[in-house]
Amino acid sequence: MSPAILNRSGNRPYPPRRSELTARFWDALAQGRFLTTRCRACGSFSFPPRSFCPSCWNAEMEWCDLPQGGVLYSKTVVHVAPAIFAHETPYALCIVDLDVGIRVASRLVEARADLPLGARVSLVALRYEDGALFAFRPE
Amino acid sequence: MNRSVAVIGGAAVPCGRLMARPDADVQVLEHEVLAGCVIEALKDAGVTKADIGAMVFAQPRPYTRQLYFATFMAHYMRLPMDGLVMEVLGNGMTGGFAFEQAVDQVASGRAEVALALGVNFEMGATTAEHLNTTMRATGDVDFQSSCGFTPISWYAMDAVRYMHEHGATRAQLACVAVKNRDHAVMNPLAQFRTPITLEEVLAQRPIVEPLGLYEVPPRSDGAACVVVATEDVARASGRPYALLRGRGFHHDGSHQISEVPNDMIAFTAAARAAHIAYEQAGISARDLSFAEIYAPCTIVEVLVSEAIGLLPRGQGAIAASEGQTRLNGRIPICTSGGLTSRGHPPRITPLYNMIEVLEQLRHQAGQRQVKDARLGLAVCELGNYNAAMVHVLEAKA
Repeated sequence: MSPAILNRSGNRPYPPRRSELTARFWDALAQGRFLTTRCRACGSFSFPPRSFCPSCWNAEMEWCDLPQGGVLYSKTVVHVAPAIFAHETPYALCIVDLDVGIRVASRLVEARADLPLGARVSLVALRYEDGALFAFRPE
Repeated sequence: MNRSVAVIGGAAVPCGRLMARPDADVQVLEHEVLAGCVIEALKDAGVTKADIGAMVFAQPRPYTRQLYFATFMAHYMRLPMDGLVMEVLGNGMTGGFAFEQAVDQVASGRAEVALALGVNFEMGATTAEHLNTTMRATGDVDFQSSCGFTPISWYAMDAVRYMHEHGATRAQLACVAVKNRDHAVMNPLAQFRTPITLEEVLAQRPIVEPLGLYEVPPRSDGAACVVVATEDVARASGRPYALLRGRGFHHDGSHQISEVPNDMIAFTAAARAAHIAYEQAGISARDLSFAEIYAPCTIVEVLVSEAIGLLPRGQGAIAASEGQTRLNGRIPICTSGGLTSRGHPPRITPLYNMIEVLEQLRHQAGQRQVKDARLGLAVCELGNYNAAMVHVLEAKA
């Protein structure tokens, strides 16, 4: 799948921490690739990545590509934000049900105000100067 | 429960700004305000200082200076006791946990009388600064908070989903705010006591779309104390009291949203906790005279009223717009004025709700009295109703 990367000026307002486990996700994200973990026993995806399966607690996990497409479940636009995000207001947030059966909440970008629930959206990497975040945009 | 437990008294200061600005010459101190509530609550309950056997405090916000507040208060009020003196914390459920622990102290025999109490001072911090902290409590700090989710942004997404699924209108949701303000007008503890119209609610600036200023909680300071005791103590007081008939709790195992797609607006934790509490009390939802619901936003009151069986699924907003949830309506909800108008000092909001339930069940709620109130409900929560706690109480004369 071709990298989906949107460049952003400046630094991330609230940079996520990296662990030995999640660094793999953030490093791949910076290249426009979405990775997560999947249970070798029951086959279910988990996101964020984990060292164990939250469903069956099996500890045999494997890394795999996370299919990026999904359906918009809900959304909002934030007008009153934490001080560290104030310069970005108003900004849109969303909840998306990925096709692989994982629900993810993140930013919604490049979407018209009237984008209806149920619309197709997909993950996109936001490349800030100090690292990457992810968001959804309409397909 | 081993022993029957009753709520026998309570006192609180009106919600609003208590905390002085940091540079003010004269400050309002947390322990001075709370001590006043404790003394008043004991008078209200008809018990004395020596009767207090346990104290469970809501942990104060970080903006108040005194740490280890529970043990400091034991000193400040000179209160030795055999039961626990402790602080609890759990987001908006903090006051509920304090109440629950105080009840357990009495039910288990460790105390005859216990206090659930606390202060929530936060008005010394601006909303934007305050949100820098609270955003860390209502999301995965690395994978969600990093994009700017705020506590009420989740409720806003509940509203969007509800309107999508049930065809409800924003105006129907906004009727909840108008109704709650009308209740608050009659409540001396309320922060906002001037009536508002539907048009005014709809005309407010957006905070988290589709919710505007009057559909989201205000910021509030507060202080409250609730007195619980064995039913024997309650009877001996010779005063009306509220008997705890049932309690339920459920955590749905998720933080804000389930990673596995589910029906987000079913509020299953509230449904489950209510079911457990109703069963213990031997009642059903239709037996209730009123409900005091922890609902930071209009939509939350609608969703909880459906989840706990007061209104049919998908009908909560319509019912509110028809006046069914008003005082003198079919099932009055949030006669205190609710979080949007009574006020919302989050860590002790459930204590304010319990005080409202007590006043209603003692038939001392004045103009906002629910006629013949016999069974009342209190609900509190954390997250996006990921956990809910439900208490059923009965009027006893």
